[in-house]
Amino acid sequence: MTGKKAFQVFHTDTDQILDLNQYAGEDFSQAAEDEKASMVQMHKSVSYWQDAWRRFRSNPVSVGALIVFILILIFSFIGPMFIDYSYEEQYRSSQKLGPMEYSPTEQMVITLLENEADAVYATSLNAGSLSAIRKGDWFIRQGSQTYAFHVDKTIEKATLVVDSDSDPAVYYGKDKDWDEETKSYKEVTPIETTSEPAEGAQELKLSKRVFPHVFGTDSQGRDLLARCMYGARVSIIIGVAAALIVLIIGALYGSISGFAGGKVDFVMMRIVDLIYSIPDVLIVLLLQVVLKAPLQAWFDAGKDPVSRALSTLGVGIVSIFITFALLYWVGMARIIRGQVLQLKEQEFVMAAGVLGASPGRIIKRHLLPNCVGQLIIQTCLQIPSAIFLESFLSYLGLGVSAPMASLGSLCSDAKETFLLFPYRLLFPAILLSLIVLTLNLVGDGLRDALDPRLKS
Amino acid sequence: MDMLGYTLKRMAISVLTLLLVAAITFFLMNAIPGSPFMTEKSTPQQIALANAKYGLDKPLIVQFGNYLKNLAKGDMGVSLKMQEGTSVSKILFGQGKFVLSMKIGLLALLVAVIIGIPVGVLQAYYRGRWIDNILRVITTMGIAMPGFVVATLCLFEFGVTLGWLPVQSNSLETFGAYVMPVLTLALNPMCRIAKLTRTSMLDSISQDYIRTANAKGLKTRVVLFKHALRNSLIPVITYLGPLTAGIITGALVVEQIYHIPGLGNYFVSSILNRDYPVIMGTTLLLAALIVIMNLVVDIAYKIVDPRINITKKGD
Amino acid sequence: MNNEAMNQTSEKKMTAAERAAMIKNNKILLDVDGLKVTFFTHAGQVKAVDGISYQIHEHEVMGIVGESGSGKSVEAYSIMGLLQKPGRIVGGKVTFDGEDLLAYSDSEKREFRGNKASMIFQNPMTCLNPVYTIGDQLMEALRCHNKEISKAEARKKAIEMLELVGINNADKRIDQYPHEFSGGMRQRAMIAMALICSPKLLIADEPTTALDVTIQAQILELMKDLQRQTGMAIIFITHNLGVVAEICDFVTVMYAGHVMEQGTVDDIFYNPAHPYTRGLLRSMPNLDDEKGKRLIPIEGTPVDLLDPPKGCAFGPRCEHCMKVCLTKQPPMVTVGDDHKSACWLHIKEMKELSSGEVTK
Repeated sequence: MTGKKAFQVFHTDTDQILDLNQYAGEDFSQAAEDEKASMVQMHKSVSYWQDAWRRFRSNPVSVGALIVFILILIFSFIGPMFIDYSYEEQYRSSQKLGPMEYSPTEQMVITLLENEADAVYATSLNAGSLSAIRKGDWFIRQGSQTYAFHVDKTIEKATLVVDSDSDPAVYYGKDKDWDEETKSYKEVTPIETTSEPAEGAQELKLSKRVFPHVFGTDSQGRDLLARCMYGARVSIIIGVAAALIVLIIGALYGSISGFAGGKVDFVMMRIVDLIYSIPDVLIVLLLQVVLKAPLQAWFDAGKDPVSRALSTLGVGIVSIFITFALLYWVGMARIIRGQVLQLKEQEFVMAAGVLGASPGRIIKRHLLPNCVGQLIIQTCLQIPSAIFLESFLSYLGLGVSAPMASLGSLCSDAKETFLLFPYRLLFPAILLSLIVLTLNLVGDGLRDALDPRLKS
Repeated sequence: MDMLGYTLKRMAISVLTLLLVAAITFFLMNAIPGSPFMTEKSTPQQIALANAKYGLDKPLIVQFGNYLKNLAKGDMGVSLKMQEGTSVSKILFGQGKFVLSMKIGLLALLVAVIIGIPVGVLQAYYRGRWIDNILRVITTMGIAMPGFVVATLCLFEFGVTLGWLPVQSNSLETFGAYVMPVLTLALNPMCRIAKLTRTSMLDSISQDYIRTANAKGLKTRVVLFKHALRNSLIPVITYLGPLTAGIITGALVVEQIYHIPGLGNYFVSSILNRDYPVIMGTTLLLAALIVIMNLVVDIAYKIVDPRINITKKGD
Repeated sequence: MNNEAMNQTSEKKMTAAERAAMIKNNKILLDVDGLKVTFFTHAGQVKAVDGISYQIHEHEVMGIVGESGSGKSVEAYSIMGLLQKPGRIVGGKVTFDGEDLLAYSDSEKREFRGNKASMIFQNPMTCLNPVYTIGDQLMEALRCHNKEISKAEARKKAIEMLELVGINNADKRIDQYPHEFSGGMRQRAMIAMALICSPKLLIADEPTTALDVTIQAQILELMKDLQRQTGMAIIFITHNLGVVAEICDFVTVMYAGHVMEQGTVDDIFYNPAHPYTRGLLRSMPNLDDEKGKRLIPIEGTPVDLLDPPKGCAFGPRCEHCMKVCLTKQPPMVTVGDDHKSACWLHIKEMKELSSGEVTK
């Protein structure tokens, strides 16, 4: 033992009187190194992401919001597979229906299907009429049977009925012959069919059920549920794409500015300040108007693959992207620059610099990974704000245009007839609010989970 | 720290920003192909004549120079389409549009601040308890609901179904006519202020000086309202700039829905009609409002927070 | 012993040992008995303070020394009632002037804080509210415990206090904001604020750590002077043994929430009993050391309080670690007049002594 020993008094505290004999001599022998090491139980180390995930999970509001948002994603991306209507098709005779309402024609078709028919084709539900060019140029498939036929005269406002029990199996009845009381046609016209369709014959898609218009239809006879699904999809895609644009430009600009420092940083940040002080919405409105014509001209020319790809998106959406790329990245750039400035001072970054890593490598390997939490939070919060802006523009009639639909344009379409058909505004509006709300809540949850400064 | 010098410098920057906005607006508008006088019936001669009459045949840069020269004299040109021949300044200021929009905007701003801040403080005080949770859901919803949704819903519920408030607010003669436009306009910024106040209150509460205040034996109320709130107000004040911009944006929609003949409503129409001088004038006016607000905020910032060495700000 | 007597004797330049001996006979001001504080975190329970005991007599300056994470600040916050969630006092007793502190109601705790005992903190840069003047914050401390005092009187008292802590132009300085003060000045202002109600006990939580070395010395000198003048007791929390030697009468050495050794300054510095204390002393540079002498660090890292060792907390890092240390916590052993140490080595020695006597 080292040190001077000068203890004369040895006694333990009164309440801890020890029986010295209970300790054997070997108790006081030197412990081995591995025994010492085994005293320290290394408890499972928790990685940053595991810890973040635990914190996110412990926030019921954010988890609930995430679940609702996933449900909305399923609704808008997978939902269309389960309904019989498309967002752009105008179903004749089905205009201005309320939620879960059926038009008289649809009622008639339902009755037919309930009574004897196996399948029907109602011309007044679908677009156009049936007309014949050659013998056998229409065919229908019913079970294992194929019926090919042609009609001499145009069948308009009539319903083609397939009923394998009757003879002939295929006939049609005119809408005007329908008797509401007997629930049957006063008169039907049989159609002669063959089993082999002629070459180039068109198939008629028969309906075996009438899908309800869950949200009703608009004044053009388009199904609102289908349009809401489509609109939500467009809105979400716009939001995500715009957020990604902001992320890429903002993160690059911010990290370069923060990393370069000095004069470069000063000039770059003055540019940001200037863009920041420009009243964005006013400029966005102008840009929307200004960009429309040249973009349209470019798309119409359709010379290069880029313009052809973009033209499927439409002028409105592309100009929204352009405005985001021009104006909205500044907030992200500022935040990332701040982060980089903070990180740059830290030892591991300096060490990398001393070891001769190139600036590009330092940004890529050290700065961006450490900013990743902030990047995720900001991007997640950027999505709802992009959706918000898009809906605002579309509501004013400047964004997405028909037949394409976004939630904003759906609301805009509904505003004129709002007092008569409030549900047409209500459904897209609720959906829009839900998307923005859930994304905001998820973003807040992510911020609490990922921002170590707020660690509790 | 030279307050006067700082103010002057800030004002110079503000003027520069406005010039930039003017330039962007001007060149953007003129980037729209075709003349505003082009209609289906007009002949090329007529268009050329009209262009010459309003000086639209000169090079862009000359046109812009002329515009700025006239602007300095208070002349913002005349409307080309919506009210052909009427001077823009008369449209903006002489027809009550500006006053009307200002009234609603200022009221909304007041409502947002007066309700938003106490709600945020309340939430921070009761953080984690039911009152905080309820208010948090409400404020987040207020942020998530687009203005046009709120406006139409209010219109339907209170105007049509319940019939409490007038549906059309044309002239805003009665008190009731103000209620819906002002509240719908104020809702979003109000919720944002509440949220911001809550966050920054919670941030302040975790600061060392709050521990000091507690160690002094101060009452919780004093600690919260004297020590935490004043520090928390700093980020709220900086938000007043974007808030003004937000209210102006909101006004574009709200005025349309309630049929208020204000500046916002007119601005949207002028854009859709490509009435250049009106767009120019309105953009500049609204931009000036936002820029002035930012200026005021920066100076108020300095007053609330004695630490800020303003000359070094932004680095 | 009253204040004057203390002052008189201090003028005679007592030795540290004399002073310690006198203080020992004073009334006990604060009695901490088996205090346990646990933090209930997501990862598990962190026993930040695991049963520590000590007594502070009137006029006593006690140093609590330990590495970061040893629970020394947590223990001080618990006494002041400033413990934040998820921390909770789970056991023990704290008695101040005969009153049970842990039984206090919230308003009694407030009355206690700042009035009977006050506290100063590590970072003077962030501990003053940036948006109020120094005077505001000083007067507030006075007026919240003494409602009768007028604003003018409070201001006068605040200026007096600022002068007392060595701030020049106090009547002008009082209207300045914290950012207009330097770090050392702010710590002086903090001290003035803590002392304005003449508390009997001051808890100083690393008050010099964030300051420049020259400023550190000034602040220490100031605190020493003020202690002699006012006669208040001080708990001086620090990880710096040099600071302890400078100002303290008694020292408590803490490690991982346990008390390792307690004694007078002389005991701890000239007669350390515990291997941890000895390790600390060896790792500290000393001007008197011969040239070229190496400092010896304590090997290893502090224990993880989420999973503390079953036996002696210091065991894993102790060069003398024995088999018994692995499984059993060492008892507190009195090794001198006021000198206690918690180590199995003492038991071993006792055993050897007693068996030696037997064999004799």
